[in-house]
Amino acid sequence: MDQLDKFKKEWQTREQELPKVSFNDIYKMLLKKSSSIVKWIFIISVAELLFWIGLYFIIPEENMILMHEMGIGEILYYANIFHFAVFGLFIFLFYKNYQSIQVTDNTKMLMKNILNTRKTVRYFVIYNIGMFIVSSIVVDSFFYNNSNKLYNAMDFASKGVPKENFANVFIIAQVLVGVAVIGLLILFYWLVYGILLKRLNTNYKELQKMEN
Amino acid sequence: MNKELEHRFVKELEQNQNIVHKICRLYTHDQDSHNDLFQEITIQLWRAFPKFRGDSKFSTWMYRVALNTAITLYRKSKRQISTQDFEGVSFKIKSEEYDDTTEQQLKLMYGAVKKLNDIDKALVFLYLEDKSYREISDTLGITEVNARVKMNRAKEKLRKILNP
Repeated sequence: MDQLDKFKKEWQTREQELPKVSFNDIYKMLLKKSSSIVKWIFIISVAELLFWIGLYFIIPEENMILMHEMGIGEILYYANIFHFAVFGLFIFLFYKNYQSIQVTDNTKMLMKNILNTRKTVRYFVIYNIGMFIVSSIVVDSFFYNNSNKLYNAMDFASKGVPKENFANVFIIAQVLVGVAVIGLLILFYWLVYGILLKRLNTNYKELQKMEN
Repeated sequence: MNKELEHRFVKELEQNQNIVHKICRLYTHDQDSHNDLFQEITIQLWRAFPKFRGDSKFSTWMYRVALNTAITLYRKSKRQISTQDFEGVSFKIKSEEYDDTTEQQLKLMYGAVKKLNDIDKALVFLYLEDKSYREISDTLGITEVNARVKMNRAKEKLRKILNP
């Protein structure tokens, strides 16, 4: 008989000194709010969805006017319709995955469903960052090739901006801002995932390792 | 939720609370965290209770929800990381059979179990609670064969912790 079996015998036969929570105290606990990881994932995910959707509503009016003046207003209109269709799809997938999280499932299934829910939101964020990069490249190259038109449309002459080198400075500024925004976003997600999902990922890998 | 259901649930949990306390003790390192986890498990059990159909014993169903909460849903608080392990397990001792060596060995073994990772700890806990490999594999979502293999590895890990 090994040490653990001896321990098991004691575990079974001897009564342990354990706290006792009264009927009334258990009753009170039913009214308390959960602080589980699933709740936090839900809050953070909804905040992310709202953030990315909200961005589309805070684009200044002048920006849209400029796009129309530059002749790409219609393309942007269709691109936005496509975006919102994708948003709708992600929200549906997120809701479906979230609904599948059941504490009564086995441990592996529970972890899988939580990670899938999280993954949906991660893909949503990757999609948004990807679209941000792609659209920046497309719009910026278009602006670069049509810098004269842009110079006139933004009325830089009256603001005293010299026409020489305008296109280069404009592009460099756009790229720098773009890189800074993406850097901040990546840092934010690295922190959120690091803090919230480290233990869950470790445990899920441990369970998966067993099956390989 | 109706009052009758609430009453039935609280009564069941009150009678079976030792299972939850044992899990809390294994997965936390101080009394405050123990109480936090107990409360979280209670909330999760209560939420899932309307779906409990009674085709298994309440206690059997509890193991799954309580372990899932401890391993997966519970967020460890900061203070838990910074504090030292509290006294751990304490068995009620009958004075006539008091044996200091056995007591020491039990404490050491319990300390070793607490050092295991979350999954191994769940496996060993279910084993100590005399659950069959079938039940263990059902609870964790792995095959029965893998549960046995993993259990042997956990025993090996315990042996190494105790005899470095």
